[in-house]
Amino acid sequence: MNDIFTYIIGGKAGEGVKKAGDAASNLFSRIGRKTFEMDDYQSLIRGGHNFSVVSTSKDDIYSHYMKADLIVNLDDKSYELHKNHLSDGGLMIYNSDETENGEGVGLPLDEISENYSKSDLIKGVTGISVLSSVMDLKKDELEEIIEKEYSRGVEENLSFAEEIFDLVEKKIDKSFKLEKGDDESPIFSGNEALSLGAASAGLDMYIGYPMTPASSILHFFASNKKELQVMPIHPENEISVANIAVGATMPGARVMVGSSGGGLALMEETISLAGMAESPVLFVLSSRPGPSTGVPTYTEQGDLEFALNQGHGEFPLIVASPGSIEESFFLAGKMLDLVWKYQTPGIFLTEKHLSESSMNIDIDPSKVRWAEPKEFDAEGEYKRYEMTDDGISPLKFPPSEDVIKWNSYENNEKGITTEKPEWVEAMHDKRREKNEKMILDMKEKDTVNEFGDSGPTIFTYGSTTMSVLEALKAGDIDGKVVQPKFLKPFPIWEFEDYMEEDVIVVEQSSTGQFASMLREKCSIVPKNVIRKYDGRPFEPLKLAEKIKEAI
Amino acid sequence: MAEDLGTGAENTWCPGCGNFGMLNSMKKVVEKLEDKDIGREKILISAGIGCHAKIFDYLNLSGLYSIHGREIATIQGMKLANPDLKVIGFGGDGDAYGEGLSHLIFAAKRNADITMIVHNNSSYSLTTGQMSPTSERGYKGPSTPEGSIEPPLNPLMVLLSAGASFVGRGYAGKLDHLSNLIVEAVEHEGFSLVDVLQPCVVFHDDQYEKYNEAVDIIEESAETRYEAMELAEETERLPIGVFYKEEQPVYHQELYTDLNVVEDKMDKDVRIDKVKKLIDKRR
Repeated sequence: MNDIFTYIIGGKAGEGVKKAGDAASNLFSRIGRKTFEMDDYQSLIRGGHNFSVVSTSKDDIYSHYMKADLIVNLDDKSYELHKNHLSDGGLMIYNSDETENGEGVGLPLDEISENYSKSDLIKGVTGISVLSSVMDLKKDELEEIIEKEYSRGVEENLSFAEEIFDLVEKKIDKSFKLEKGDDESPIFSGNEALSLGAASAGLDMYIGYPMTPASSILHFFASNKKELQVMPIHPENEISVANIAVGATMPGARVMVGSSGGGLALMEETISLAGMAESPVLFVLSSRPGPSTGVPTYTEQGDLEFALNQGHGEFPLIVASPGSIEESFFLAGKMLDLVWKYQTPGIFLTEKHLSESSMNIDIDPSKVRWAEPKEFDAEGEYKRYEMTDDGISPLKFPPSEDVIKWNSYENNEKGITTEKPEWVEAMHDKRREKNEKMILDMKEKDTVNEFGDSGPTIFTYGSTTMSVLEALKAGDIDGKVVQPKFLKPFPIWEFEDYMEEDVIVVEQSSTGQFASMLREKCSIVPKNVIRKYDGRPFEPLKLAEKIKEAI
Repeated sequence: MAEDLGTGAENTWCPGCGNFGMLNSMKKVVEKLEDKDIGREKILISAGIGCHAKIFDYLNLSGLYSIHGREIATIQGMKLANPDLKVIGFGGDGDAYGEGLSHLIFAAKRNADITMIVHNNSSYSLTTGQMSPTSERGYKGPSTPEGSIEPPLNPLMVLLSAGASFVGRGYAGKLDHLSNLIVEAVEHEGFSLVDVLQPCVVFHDDQYEKYNEAVDIIEESAETRYEAMELAEETERLPIGVFYKEEQPVYHQELYTDLNVVEDKMDKDVRIDKVKKLIDKRR
């Protein structure tokens, strides 16, 4: 706990704040420490207030903290907003051209940056320059960092960085000695991790229409198109996204699509089509506070019931949510495999905090299963919806001498539309059998994560898992954390032991959707539900207090 | 040859329906494509929802029976997954010019290599004859008992404005002409739309008569998009044939160059190696 160092940099959009956060994360990571970075930004292009928080430790760290040892404010708004976030003995840097009589050390950032061609953007370089100085790095080490992190317009960036570095050396004698660690794992955001996981499972296409906080998945595949050959497609709207996806699965492409709540709502008609046609599409739902447009660039777990109840009519749907950025990688790969195995749609539920925060993760693509369906290899006539013991009909892909018909209508085994009662009933049975088979298989698999083995039981899921784990550490609390990875089918068989227990639930929802689900599905009556719904993720020290109160 | 293109499914179109002409044309289309070495196994079809869409069940070709208006996106997905396949979508006027119009405009705009055949009968027939995007002003249906107060949409004008690289019109009463037109559309590299005048004998009592009189085969397509628009504006005479056709960069070729993500799928080992390299870049 004591070795945690937290750094905040804040400023206007367009001043390179997120880049400054990333550069700091990379610096800590390069000396073998672990980092967690949370970027807070508003729904605007220029101005406003953005900040990045990076917490680093030699040990595992699952959340940022809001008590910072070093705060770099590029403008006055940032100073006003973050002056209460400074820890005892921390160092506050402010822009003396904007903030008068600030507490801490003022640097004339407007005056200095004016001499550079990108006078706004270059202000972000202040962060890494200050950090380098107070971490007692040598000037040539800073130069090396600038060349790596700020390679575009490197001459000006170097000159600006050195100017700030010299000024800080002169004005500040404080130094933070951050011990080196031995971690070598790379830093990824949740959206990057899930993209890499799906790619490792054999993804062929990613289709998306821009919507925060899912857009960065589309950007990731677009920027890595040549290397990965996962085709990035950006059509006219989410309805097109989902239907292009279903169409692409028919000749055998492994497809993932993504959006936030509003976009998924538009795709819902097609999720039902995928259920009927038995089209394996993986839908990423990255939540933000709703309803409607809500709070676009912030976080919430308000879409749990929405995810679980997607699609009209009855069909098997798989919903899973990772409890960490690392798990985003493995679970995305697993979900792609599962939707192909059971030929049914799946929803990968994540949230802004999990999608866009980043940390060091240990991932190995060779541990991800290559998504492959049961394929038709028998003699005789091919029937797309052939009745089988487990409801799963073998697949065949065009071009083929056999006629392969997928259908949105109820249909017979050959995929021809029917309204006959015996077929309607038989096909319902077939889809239900797939669901039963899925549950049977899941009982043998790892569907729930448990952390710790003593103390009160805390149920949570999604990104909140990371917050809870860090809070227990920060508050030195004994607790057992139970986190279901799969939310549909819900692994109720794992929870029988908790029915009589006084469990605590932690979630980011105003109505307590996850707690309701535990009550309804597993007869677990939570003693206490800790909820947060202001769009911001839990802060570990504050959450620790709440957990202590709840115990 | 055409015989085995049936599926044995019971045909539920009304006697005299223009869709029979469409179905028979399609059987000829498949024969003609096979003569040109485009085997039926390489053809995928899709359809929206409505009377037109039943053609999916009656044609023994592979495909996916989609939902209202979305078949335009469905076939784009098929093509993007495997560009070696020829994809044909069937839509109705309510389907392609109403519910799915945005997909149609954007497929034309990006020159997606698809063929859309729209069974245009100017009414929502399967749902009991409500007005459709192409119903004339004054059309009486259960949702407009006093007559439609909206003018009809001119789909060919919309598509020509959207930059479509192939726009044609056929008539379900002229089978040979229609099948040749569809073959030309399928062979065209890029987006092609064939609007088909398809009489509905239940909700319009005069469409056959009107079309038989007014339909006029254009021997040569327009030189420019604007001339094609003039053809599309004609109402007394109803020109049929290829209105306009031009070469344009094709969407999947621009996106992929020569890659076929299904047929040339990267081996597992290669992909894993690529992912590892991306991970190592961050170390």
